[in-house]
Amino acid sequence: MSPQNDSALRPAASLGASSQAQAEDVLITWRPSRHARRLLTLVAAALLMALLTRNPALAGVAAPPLLILGMARVRKGRHERLGVRVGLTSTRLYEGEPVAVDVSAADDEHDLRWAFNPGHGIEPGSAVTVNGPAARFTFEVPRWGKRGVGSVTLTLHDQWHLAEGRVTFPLPFVDCYPSPAVQRTEVVLSKLPNRLGEHRARVPGDGTEFTGIREFVPGDRQRAINWPASTRRGRLQVNTFAAERSQDVVLLVDATTDVGKPGESALDLGLRGTAGAARAYLNGRDRVGVITYQWGGAHWLAPSLGRRQLYKIIDVLLNADTGYARGAVFSRLPRAALPPGALVVAFSPLLDGRFVEALRDMRERGFALIVVDVLNIEPPVRRRFADTAARRIWLMEQQAIRFSLRELGVPVVPWDGVTPLDLPLAPYTRRPLVTRR
Amino acid sequence: MNEIPASETQASATPPAKTPTAKPLQPRAGVAAAAGSRLATMLLGAACVAWTATPLLHTGLAQTALTVAIIAVVAGALRIALIDIPQPEDHFFLPGYLAAWLTFLSILRVLAWEETAVVALLWLEIQHPSRPWHTAALGAALLAYLLATHIAESGTQPSTLLRRHVKLFIVGACLLALGAGFAMIPAASAGAGSAALRVLAALAVIVAAALVLPA
Repeated sequence: MSPQNDSALRPAASLGASSQAQAEDVLITWRPSRHARRLLTLVAAALLMALLTRNPALAGVAAPPLLILGMARVRKGRHERLGVRVGLTSTRLYEGEPVAVDVSAADDEHDLRWAFNPGHGIEPGSAVTVNGPAARFTFEVPRWGKRGVGSVTLTLHDQWHLAEGRVTFPLPFVDCYPSPAVQRTEVVLSKLPNRLGEHRARVPGDGTEFTGIREFVPGDRQRAINWPASTRRGRLQVNTFAAERSQDVVLLVDATTDVGKPGESALDLGLRGTAGAARAYLNGRDRVGVITYQWGGAHWLAPSLGRRQLYKIIDVLLNADTGYARGAVFSRLPRAALPPGALVVAFSPLLDGRFVEALRDMRERGFALIVVDVLNIEPPVRRRFADTAARRIWLMEQQAIRFSLRELGVPVVPWDGVTPLDLPLAPYTRRPLVTRR
Repeated sequence: MNEIPASETQASATPPAKTPTAKPLQPRAGVAAAAGSRLATMLLGAACVAWTATPLLHTGLAQTALTVAIIAVVAGALRIALIDIPQPEDHFFLPGYLAAWLTFLSILRVLAWEETAVVALLWLEIQHPSRPWHTAALGAALLAYLLATHIAESGTQPSTLLRRHVKLFIVGACLLALGAGFAMIPAASAGAGSAALRVLAALAVIVAAALVLPA
């Protein structure tokens, strides 16, 4: 293999070994190949014309292909079993992440050719046809969702390439997760529940962050005595520390409307933002839950801790679909889904009036709420007066919705999906978010 | 959930006990190899047309056969050149130009262009007065054209495939020469019967060779 090919294949090799390889015995039915049919046409045409024109030279033309056909003994209708292994390096991936399909067959007699037929929404990242007993095809999924990878067709040729057997294997579905947005900082509430965590609370406790000194009272630990301060004041002084608490975070995804180009739509941004926020808060040892408002009502996952919760959240997000059932209502969510005192971060284009009403309702119930506005598209500018007027009315409506939320004490921050989430949330991550009823 | 995305498992990914030895082997991305076989197909097709067409005949049938042969060879070359372009699964709501392009591709792929070219070229050849050695050379060129087409569309290593055919090529060349030689033997007596006899004799030699040669 040439060095050029080698370098082209290096990324595929770095994807690691395939897991969950399925081995199966497939039945191969042999039939004449297209090459055999072409040779047969040449033989038939030459012989026919030789007889019609009585020209022996044309019979000579038929001789070489006839010999090849005669030698090969086309095995039409013959069946054979063949052991084939098909495996994917991963069945769960993030948007744009390369994954490989490994295929191999236990056959040394025939010439094998593999062809990868990518499914809808799958972008092949390597050559789609490979000759040999084993092959690796790489692909990536540009947009989140549950995707069928497609199929792999194996074509076997006999020694003379006159008989061919063909079999197609459907490949499994993969779950493509929305690529999480970058978020390193967190919004922290001023009032944190009495639960051990990593956020500095306003109340004194057993944390590691120094808050001040006070006079020693019986029962204080001896190791907390601040000796320099005690010497200066002539009385025993002890250091005090801030308590460290965790918070409940509920991520709210508005999947009722999806506007914008596929891949950069409001729903895409919402899901990427939610995945990024979930990862950031779970890394901060917070309990994170998710609620998706979508077709037919709301789906929710109660707040919990840990890395496992991140994948549970993303699995819930994968089922997000746009639309709204006629007559569906956002009923009050149970206490488990929306614990009192939780921080609610909503990702929404704020286009659905009922979702905005749900936000107002939550705020009136005393929840600390931040809305990340993921609307990144506007109606097109047209020259007709009616279009211009409609556009202006629409823009004013949007401004009014955002203004009304801000008036209620709900910060609305726009996010374009490209910059890290830290940027729009910066004013709220520098200091604890004070919640007022 | 038992599995996590690929990017987060790279460090801990260990191959299972019986992992298939799947390596990317000789992908068709080798532009030079693919382009070489396609170019060879195109040139062989053009050579067959030029060889058969000279000297140019101005009869209706010959001109029709030549036109058909040119169209078929060009379409076959286009089919081979565009063989790697995938056909989308769904054709719904496509713009006009894209739908036209896909229709063009499917026409290229469905019709048997090479077979048409072979028949048209043989038909054009018989329009000319008898020229045995010229016809024999055409037979060799047509076989080469069909083999090159198969190599280009299947991505097979030409050396591997041709090595297996060497013995047959030698015998085939002898039979081609024999056919041409039969055509050059002057007829013992005038008439259609003696000409047919020569054809049958040539056929008998070919069939005998096919039966005698070991597989």
